Amino acid sequence: MTTSAHPALDLKSISKAFYGVKANDDVDFELRPGEVHALLGENGAGKSTLCSIIAGLYRPDSGTMHVHGEEAGFRSPKDAFAAGIGMVYQHFRLVPNLTVAENMVLGTTDLPIRVSTSAIERQTEEIGERYGLPVDPRARIWQLSVGEQQRVEILKLLQRNARILILDEPTAVLTPQESDALFRTVRQMADEGRSVILVSHKLHEIKQASDRVTVLRHGRRVGEPVATADATPRQLAAMMVGRDLVLPTRDPHEHLGDVALAIRGLRVLSDRGLEAVKGVDLDVRRGEIVGIAGVAGNGQRELAYAIAGLRRPVAGTISLDGRDITSLSVRQRINRGLSYVPQNRLGMGLAPGLTTEENLGLKAYRKPPFSRGPFLVAKAFNDTGARLVADYDVRGVRPGLPIRLLSGGNLQKVLIARETTQKHSVLVARSPTRGLDVGATSAVRNLVLEERDNGVGVLLISEDLDELMALSDRMVVLFEGRIVGELTADEASAEQLGLLMAGHVEETSP
Amino acid sequence: MRRRYSVQPRGLAPLRVTLLVPLISVAAALIVGAIFLAVTGNSPVEVYQKMVDTAFGSGRGLAETLISSTPLMLTGVAAAVAFKMLVWNIGAEGQLLAGAIAAAGVGIWLADGTPAALAIPVVILAGAGGGAFWAYLAAGPRVYLGTNEIITTLMLNFIALNLMNYLVLGSFSPWRDPESTQFPQGRPIIESARLTEFFHRLDYGIFIAVAVAILAWALIGKTRWGFEVRVVGDSVEAARYSGITVNRKILGVFLFSGAAAGLAGALLVAGILGKMDPRSLDLGLGFTGIIVAALARLNPVAVIPVAVLMGALNNAGPALQSIGVPDATVTMLQGAILVFAVAGEFLIANRLVRTDRTISTAGRLQKAGVT
Amino acid sequence: MNESVVVLTIFAAIGLGTPLVFATVGEVLSERSGVLNLGVQGTMLVGAVAGFWATFKTGSLLLGVVAAIVAGAALSLVHAFSSITLRVSQIVSGLALTIFGTGLSEFIGRASEPPLVGQPSREKFEPLFEGGIADIPIVGPLIFGHDILVYFSWLVVAASSWYLFRSRMGLSLRAVGEDPASADAAGVNVARIRYGHVVLGGALAGLGGAYFSLVLVPSWQDDLIGGAGWIAIALVIVASWRPWRALVAAYLFGAAGRVNFTLQTLEISAPSNLLAMIPFALAIVAMIVLTSGKRARLLGAPAALGVPYSREQR
Repeated sequence: MTTSAHPALDLKSISKAFYGVKANDDVDFELRPGEVHALLGENGAGKSTLCSIIAGLYRPDSGTMHVHGEEAGFRSPKDAFAAGIGMVYQHFRLVPNLTVAENMVLGTTDLPIRVSTSAIERQTEEIGERYGLPVDPRARIWQLSVGEQQRVEILKLLQRNARILILDEPTAVLTPQESDALFRTVRQMADEGRSVILVSHKLHEIKQASDRVTVLRHGRRVGEPVATADATPRQLAAMMVGRDLVLPTRDPHEHLGDVALAIRGLRVLSDRGLEAVKGVDLDVRRGEIVGIAGVAGNGQRELAYAIAGLRRPVAGTISLDGRDITSLSVRQRINRGLSYVPQNRLGMGLAPGLTTEENLGLKAYRKPPFSRGPFLVAKAFNDTGARLVADYDVRGVRPGLPIRLLSGGNLQKVLIARETTQKHSVLVARSPTRGLDVGATSAVRNLVLEERDNGVGVLLISEDLDELMALSDRMVVLFEGRIVGELTADEASAEQLGLLMAGHVEETSP
Repeated sequence: MRRRYSVQPRGLAPLRVTLLVPLISVAAALIVGAIFLAVTGNSPVEVYQKMVDTAFGSGRGLAETLISSTPLMLTGVAAAVAFKMLVWNIGAEGQLLAGAIAAAGVGIWLADGTPAALAIPVVILAGAGGGAFWAYLAAGPRVYLGTNEIITTLMLNFIALNLMNYLVLGSFSPWRDPESTQFPQGRPIIESARLTEFFHRLDYGIFIAVAVAILAWALIGKTRWGFEVRVVGDSVEAARYSGITVNRKILGVFLFSGAAAGLAGALLVAGILGKMDPRSLDLGLGFTGIIVAALARLNPVAVIPVAVLMGALNNAGPALQSIGVPDATVTMLQGAILVFAVAGEFLIANRLVRTDRTISTAGRLQKAGVT
Repeated sequence: MNESVVVLTIFAAIGLGTPLVFATVGEVLSERSGVLNLGVQGTMLVGAVAGFWATFKTGSLLLGVVAAIVAGAALSLVHAFSSITLRVSQIVSGLALTIFGTGLSEFIGRASEPPLVGQPSREKFEPLFEGGIADIPIVGPLIFGHDILVYFSWLVVAASSWYLFRSRMGLSLRAVGEDPASADAAGVNVARIRYGHVVLGGALAGLGGAYFSLVLVPSWQDDLIGGAGWIAIALVIVASWRPWRALVAAYLFGAAGRVNFTLQTLEISAPSNLLAMIPFALAIVAMIVLTSGKRARLLGAPAALGVPYSREQR
């Protein structure tokens, strides 16, 4: 349809730094009309930053951008919309308390002052039908599932007739089957002449859905864009990681010990007071890693909270080393040997404004040598801190520096250092490698494996199948608050897990 | 090349910045004050000269300044400790009055001739208890029901004020001097409960105030309880996660804050006033304490010198009337100081960085927020 | 109870409630954008003295009202700058504004030539309708017995309610208060919306202050408005961030402030100091009943209230 001489988007020498770190360094990027162009890179490679620059959310420190041949200097997302560019962010940008229709019109300027909702509702339904993205326009956003919310995001862009659509890790929240449906919509949009930037770090998705690939690594572009058809997954992986992909090797577990964590008939409510965990039975033995797979929002958070003592279950029991801990306080559980690495590192696992040393003492401060009587012993904090910082190779620590200024990988090392040096028999970890770069990811994975080898029972709760498959000895799938299937490490495949995660139980039940 | 700057958060503000910014705030407020004075036909130089002379120019002036600063140290500590933990106790005003009511009540009730060694501690503790009780009226709902404390503490200020006025001006309660029929007065407390004066009218109360400020600093910085308080103030989630009972800490801080404010009321009653005098207690000392705390950057020890500065302003106010300048000049200056101190927090937390130059990757700060 | 006492009480409640209506609706708009403004008390005082001063100097009530609005808007601009641009604590910034505004109003009241303290206002707003419809029993005084600012306050309530829930700008406003990041991504200018509504809120608070100095009292003295500014902040919650409910709540508190006189009319004596506590005690009870637990959120508190927004910080 479009045979314009100009590329849809042409970026030259884009650089952007945050707090002294270059997130994008001299990046070129070209997008043709009607193509699906994948942006591949690891966590932290600068993909999201580049997209946010294109979408007008961030302003580049230097570099130029042309849209359909015209120079563009966006000051805000509004300017980008005007140029026909829209983005679906990883964390959706929908106002939870407004309806779908209200979110559709939010920020548009070509409407009369009075908002007529019925017209917008009709329009929303029409576009939804045309692109196979059905959604109820009168529903409030918080009532929708994650997949439905994503549809609203895409509908919003289509309604504004965006010519360039950016999808930032769109499948992270979807089951494999939902992802397939999404890619069909993406192809339909490209066939209409729209251009799509697909951000991902999953090779099979890129092979499946894109026409060309640009690879980013450490904020810089790697080589020239390549046609997807000409590249093998292995080549792409090498470009992305900068070395041959080393699959993590994992010795099978041998010394299976007693049951360390036993959960029986557990029922836990969500923030909204609905039952989020609906009767879970689970055992974790010493010396094994049990993975809990599932799409976000299927009860993982509530399960973890209940085990950690942050939320009282409405029914069921939790035992640690054979003793019932269901009614114990958080502190009592810690003393009994429960370690917990929460998903929210900064803010829950670590107190952002305190120093690294203080955070390392956050659980042991009540006992000697950290405190003597009612008083703290500063020397104990400093000595222990220095030792753990050296042992766990934490970088960037300075005296008095609030811990929030450390990088994600270093934060996680501090957290795991603290959780694994206290006396414990069970470690509950939620998405421990989320958002980390390759080096930090492998360091954290090794720490988790060491735990298992030291005879700790590890419960790994994650939405990242790669992480789960790399670490777990055994996996269960959580769907709508229930365990819908169990697989051993050997028999688990991504496809099977995907079906279970989407609630297809009958095909795998024994 | 075009110069471009961006605002970036700093990790650790250098000491000179943290010291300089409050000084700049004060200077900026003085300039704003000077503009208002000049517009209204007064000479700023003359006014400021008069203020310095009154507050520091003589032994008596200095004593009066320190007398004014004593309650401010305590209300400053009350605000600093609470705000540090994100407990928005805006009720130091009411807690001070409740402390004064309790201290005066006990000081009147005690038998004449009770030894000072007993009377003084009892009166002072009654004041602290009264303040803590008044704080509890807001802290209880906050902790047990989750009621937002900003509005409840504020409203309790007005209730305490009306209660005090009722006790002395509106009724014949034990707090009112029975001899005063035409112009109602507070009834004096027993003589032995009065704090001894040692430098002009300055009494030993100031040492109690300084001691409480230092105590607060040590409690927060050096004890296990203080560590837990700091964790809660930094992140409630992190505190719960590490097994700290958040509500008990909030309650403790709230009551400490109220007790400090109540103590201020008690020291006024047992010290300079000798009775509960509504006109001398309704001076906005609780709100001025917020200014003190903000300018001291919530550090209880820094509260001490800042309270002296604010006390000096309070002391100088009435003297301005002798040169035809309203004493409200002082309130306005204090308000302006707070406005600039608040804005100054921005300069401490952030810095301006040129972004058109190459930036070194050393430090690798805040990588987590980038991707 | 005597019918005329009821009518008189309601009539007085409307009068005493009108400054609260202005200030509360102003604060509703500010908080709907996500900015808590504890500077209302100071802003009202500055509005009161500015309005009084302008009328005193010119003899024009209109200029007094304009001066109050401008002064209120200008003062709240300081809060907007600190809390939106500098992103400092909204609570402390608002308190700073109140302390400064209180001092400034007293300073102006005493430093202007001649001093305003103790002066009666040269002009005051009179009821709009004389005789005729205003003399109809009950309806006459309650509907037609007011000065023009009361009718203006009704207009403000109706207009802001329509604006908030039916207009495009109102949608953006609500979105900014709920979720500024999403609103920003949708192309709404978060800072502009917040500045606009904080300043608008300040203007209304200034007008509310002038209602004291030009209608209710009408004169100038230090701390003329009592704690009306603080009450207005509590009323925002009582009104669950909705203009019409703000009107009702303001009149309710107006009536509470009037208990004194009503009891006198009924020849019941009670200590005035204790009666003066009623509105404040009522506010505390309302807070405990309404905001305990997660109820504030359910009432409709903007989710991003009090949280500064920065696009490049997450």
